[in-house]
Amino acid sequence: MRNISSVLGRLAKSISISLVLLFAVTTTTQAQDAANGAALFKSNACNSCHAVGKKLTGPDLAGLTERRDEAWIVKWIHNPQGMIDSGDEQAVALKAEYATTMAPYASLSEGDIKDIIAYLQAEEAKKKEKAAADPAAAGGSSASSDANNLMIIGLIALFVVAVAVIFALNRVTKTLERVIANNQASIDAAQAKTDEEGESGSVKFAKAFLKNKKLVFFVVLMVVGLLGVAGWKTMWNVGVHEGYKPVQPIKFSHQIHAGVNQIECQYCHGGAFKSKNASIPSANVCMNCHNTITASDHYDGNISPEIAKLYRAVDWDPESRSYGTNTRPIEWVRIHNLPDFAYFNHSQHVVVAGVECQTCHGPIQDMEEVYQYSPLTMKWCIDCHKETSVNTDNAYYDQLIEAHDKLKKGEKMTAAMIGGLECGKCHY
Amino acid sequence: MESNKKYWKGLEELNQTPAFVEGSKSEFAEPIPVEDVLNEAGLSTKTPRRDFLKALGFGLGAVTLAACNRTPIHKAVPYVIKPEEVTPGIPNFYASSFNGQSIIVRTREGRPISLEANPNAIGLNQGTDSATTASVLDLYDMSKLQNPQIGGKDVEWAKLDQAVVDALNKAQSAGKQITIVSNTINSPSSLAAIAALATKYPSTQHVQVDAVSYSGIIEANRASFGKAVIPSYHFDKAQVVVSVAADFLGTWLAGEEHTQDYIKNRDHKSLKGGKMSRHIQFESGLSMTGSNADVRIAIKPSEEGAVLISLYNAITGQSVAGGTNHAKAKTAIALAAKELVNARGTSVVVSGSNDTNVQALTNAINTALGAYGSIIDLDNFSKQHQGSDSSFQSFLSAAKAGQVGVAIFWNTNPVYDYFKVDDVKAAIAKVDYTVSFSDRADETASELKAIATNSTYLESWGDASAKEGLFTIVQPTINPVFNTRQAEQSLINWAGVNKPIHDFVKENWEANILAGTGKAWKDVLQQGFIYKGSATGSAYTANVDVNAAAAAIATDAKRIAGGVELKVYESPNIRDGRWANNAYLQELPDPVSKVTWDNFAAINPADAEELGVKETGKVTVEANGYKVDLPVLLQPGQARGTVSVAVGYGRTKVGKAGNNVGVNAYPFASLVNGTIQFSAKASVSKASGIYELAQTQTHHTIEGRNIIRETSFANYLKDPNSESGRFSDTHQTYDLWNKFEQPGHRWVMAIDLNACTGCGACIVACNVENNVPVVGRDEVRRRREMHWLRIDRYYTLNAGDSKLTKEKEIAKADGLDYEDVTVVYQPMLCQHCEHAPCETVCPVLATVHSSEGLNHMAYNRCFGTRYCANNCPYKVRRFNWFNYWNDSRFDNYLNNEFTQLVLNPDVTTRSRGVMEKCSMCIQRIQAGKLQAKVENRKVKDGDIHMACQAACSANAIIFGDANDPESEVSKALRNERIYYVLEEINVQPNIGYMTKVRNTFEA
Repeated sequence: MRNISSVLGRLAKSISISLVLLFAVTTTTQAQDAANGAALFKSNACNSCHAVGKKLTGPDLAGLTERRDEAWIVKWIHNPQGMIDSGDEQAVALKAEYATTMAPYASLSEGDIKDIIAYLQAEEAKKKEKAAADPAAAGGSSASSDANNLMIIGLIALFVVAVAVIFALNRVTKTLERVIANNQASIDAAQAKTDEEGESGSVKFAKAFLKNKKLVFFVVLMVVGLLGVAGWKTMWNVGVHEGYKPVQPIKFSHQIHAGVNQIECQYCHGGAFKSKNASIPSANVCMNCHNTITASDHYDGNISPEIAKLYRAVDWDPESRSYGTNTRPIEWVRIHNLPDFAYFNHSQHVVVAGVECQTCHGPIQDMEEVYQYSPLTMKWCIDCHKETSVNTDNAYYDQLIEAHDKLKKGEKMTAAMIGGLECGKCHY
Repeated sequence: MESNKKYWKGLEELNQTPAFVEGSKSEFAEPIPVEDVLNEAGLSTKTPRRDFLKALGFGLGAVTLAACNRTPIHKAVPYVIKPEEVTPGIPNFYASSFNGQSIIVRTREGRPISLEANPNAIGLNQGTDSATTASVLDLYDMSKLQNPQIGGKDVEWAKLDQAVVDALNKAQSAGKQITIVSNTINSPSSLAAIAALATKYPSTQHVQVDAVSYSGIIEANRASFGKAVIPSYHFDKAQVVVSVAADFLGTWLAGEEHTQDYIKNRDHKSLKGGKMSRHIQFESGLSMTGSNADVRIAIKPSEEGAVLISLYNAITGQSVAGGTNHAKAKTAIALAAKELVNARGTSVVVSGSNDTNVQALTNAINTALGAYGSIIDLDNFSKQHQGSDSSFQSFLSAAKAGQVGVAIFWNTNPVYDYFKVDDVKAAIAKVDYTVSFSDRADETASELKAIATNSTYLESWGDASAKEGLFTIVQPTINPVFNTRQAEQSLINWAGVNKPIHDFVKENWEANILAGTGKAWKDVLQQGFIYKGSATGSAYTANVDVNAAAAAIATDAKRIAGGVELKVYESPNIRDGRWANNAYLQELPDPVSKVTWDNFAAINPADAEELGVKETGKVTVEANGYKVDLPVLLQPGQARGTVSVAVGYGRTKVGKAGNNVGVNAYPFASLVNGTIQFSAKASVSKASGIYELAQTQTHHTIEGRNIIRETSFANYLKDPNSESGRFSDTHQTYDLWNKFEQPGHRWVMAIDLNACTGCGACIVACNVENNVPVVGRDEVRRRREMHWLRIDRYYTLNAGDSKLTKEKEIAKADGLDYEDVTVVYQPMLCQHCEHAPCETVCPVLATVHSSEGLNHMAYNRCFGTRYCANNCPYKVRRFNWFNYWNDSRFDNYLNNEFTQLVLNPDVTTRSRGVMEKCSMCIQRIQAGKLQAKVENRKVKDGDIHMACQAACSANAIIFGDANDPESEVSKALRNERIYYVLEEINVQPNIGYMTKVRNTFEA
């Protein structure tokens, strides 16, 4: 219900937005290219410090042309520090208000800047139009209360329909019973006729089958065998959670982060290179990027609800851009659970052996939601230890390689050959 | 050459009592009821078909239901904001100090889990004593208070502060004293905090009192040298040591530092150089130090002074009256005096007495020996025991007279450890307001008005100065867990200095300690200490009126002499009772008696026979008007006519583990000539009742096998191989199995029996490192202690010239002199045999050998047949009869989630029904190897330390890779003294022992 309402809402919004945009573009006197402006705004990372209708690291760009003339803007973008130094009143005022001075963008031509301004104006108009057309959309909470109302109405409707259906069915049953009572004699006759015909079909086959003892024995054997195999397989998989994909408190997508944006695994899971724990990144690591990246372009200028969860965890107020003290750690659901008696060290595998993360964790860069790719059974560990050659570039292994070469010339040295299968390597 | 000495673990083994012989046949103390089940009645019982089906159905249903729980969902909760220096899974190390020793605390994810000595420190830089090692558990003690209290009720800090400040102001305006009663405080910042309070309230006084007092030494030095201090002793410079009742390796002054120094003249390195010191001990009870002596003479407490007088006469050639008449002692004194004089400048005499006159006489002897300056350092003096018995007396009388307005008790517990408890209680009652800085409502704190709950040292900022010129830092490794506040912070708050204690300590360091050293605060935090003392002390001459001292000594001896003489002593584990709630320490067997969880009355077996008491009997000891029943311990080596009782037990308000363990022995003490004396005239009589002490000594019998090798120094000099009796030297060995290559590492150990003093610090370190559970008194009685490493203590009888060579002869010999025994300690742990008998009998291959020479134990594979323990010739395997760490029946300490935070996260906690044993700290080996791999290099010798090795200040345990010919352990294993225990059964152990060498007179 809620989905449908929000989809409809979004559809309505986007139609209105495109109409407004069309209107805005056609009414612009100087036919500047707002699309080019939008591209430049992003490619020059203006959006990491600026937004329309909101103060970020830099000032709010809404109403920019009303405050400043275009020549000033061009000059400022080309050399902000120079303007401050020259004692420009507005520039000095900006310097006083904001801690950081904007970097110069001398490469932007005057046309480029005008394009950006056009884009900003279009954005602003879009925002205003939206605010006028859909006052409800201004606050996220009212939208959700709408959805709640809708749901309650829907439920009531459903209840009414259900009562009506029960009532109708009841009537139908009664009618049918009356009909049967009226025509009992003819029904009995018809019943006797069908019984005779049935005898000649399936029942006959069953009787013939039961007489063939060998066949019965064979079938029973097959069934027992199948059940046995199924049971055996089930038992082996007790405690094996391959494919385990629990619902996480935040719909974090590795596909976006590791796949599309190609963020190194190390950036978040640095522990894998130093420690036994790969470690789930602390929320402050997320905030390195997400203090500016709010994915609002996908949510009509609102902060992505998933990123908002992160903000709640670190108690970050995106409006005032400040941290509070009421932090709440994110309780992720652990996917890869090794039993306590098995010791596993990430750094041994990642740094020393040079094993790719994907070898055990699967195509993590394509996973919208992470699931357990490997069975994590002891057999799985041992199979790999039997097959994988030791990374012999490491000086640690010099002594072992010497000894090994004496024994078997030319063959590869696997982890298993140097004690990688011994109990005490993992169990202590 | 086979040794002809016979070693025995306890009197029952020596006398081959029927119970012992019976018990030694079975592996486990309690018989397994196989017989009961398989007897005729058991087998003939018929199970009706219906009952069988019922049982089957129920069993199946129950098992199905039990198995029907869902796989638990595990949460992974990362930090919100991760501290930069923390990487989950990697330990952090912080320099800190405990009791003035610079240590390094290991923390994991912000919680301290173990500590080791700071190897770069000045003084004691290797090994920690058992109390230090175990102290990490005190942080996780659930018996501590979680909030400050007034009148036994939790309050806010603000309310407590208000109450205390009001009381202080009131005392100030009424012109009454404000007294801080503490144990020895040598911490500069604590003293500065007291000074801050004294600035605000000028009537503040600071009284230091120690439960076990060393006032006698301080007063004697004040008289002899004009310096009221306790000197530092450097036993590494002493070639001849004579100790009269000083347990200087254990509890006397700084036992651990003494051990490190003392062993330098006796370990394998010293012996290689052909040098070994000689140590002669005169004492009544068999102390740990006495058990390590080359010659030990059992004397009565009343003879201590006389022995020193005779020694003085023999050394100086004078004839001061009052020498000893003890025949054996006389002979020994004559020989010892000759040795001492010959080694003038490298010889020393120490006395454990707290009597000013005895110490003055000792000063005179040491002056005659020229020990001052080299061995005894009065310039870089010790500051660890500054308690003054007389100033505590004046506090008591002032308090009783109503002159004390506020009394603050800090790290002191006189209601428990003062000999006249009623005096202390009466004094406290007369004080207007009383506050304690205790971390728990102990005996004293619960008598006081308020408790300003102190944090542990692992949660505090601070420092210590154990020695003149040595300053060590205390830095917190965790935020205060409970709502506690460190005492110094409370003091400066009350003094109106409103700053965090970190700033206070830092400013104090920068102003008073770091000035002129060129070091900054951060350097200290990293290094852990600053040393500003001089390299050696200067020579001093004692100014002693020997005749007067001797006369006073003779008078005092009369106080003790006659009848049975009582000696109250500190046990090396529990010490003065401060750490009585530490379960690791309670279960650590006493080095000599091997008793856990109790104190006892130690008497000579011959005396016991006269009294008619046997083992498990009880005696009533009465002295100084205090009468108490104690379980009796027949202690070989105990002087005839004496009884020894340890203090530190019998606490009533310390916590779950320590409450009502043993009997309080402090009331036996008395105040003589202004100092507390622990010897007294006593009467001992047989008491009714049976009490079985939880001893570990006879749990593992050796059945007369030749596993201890001992020689004399003279024989060693003639032939270093003397008595080592290596089987492989004379016998060909054969293998049933194919030889397998060990090309990588081969982890082995060498243990120097001459260095091991038997203190047991290694056992505690092993417990902490490997999550070895404490099982409690009852389980120890059932021989179920879990220690992976034990120190076996063997006695031998010195039967004069006629050596008793056969077991029968010992059993038959009448009138054995139980006073004259010698002791050998042997650390025993899994020998990681190459042909391990345990491995071949495991039906599920739960214990197998590794290519690195280790005997692996896979707990999750073990299903508890205990065949391996049965087949282990060294008896080092331990079986988990219960889930000791999570079972309400073993509510000693670990049965709660908070205390479980002390567990080492790299080591599995073993479950019920699983066998365990020494793993050779495999987690440390693996971590060391990984570190080398990550750094792209080979493992260096010394990269990996065993927990026991790191705790050993005597360096008795050497660990390393035998495949590296240059490693310390390879060198040690090439030593002539090396032998392998039970080598003759061809199990090929990987731990080599070095023969015990004794520097005896007669040889």
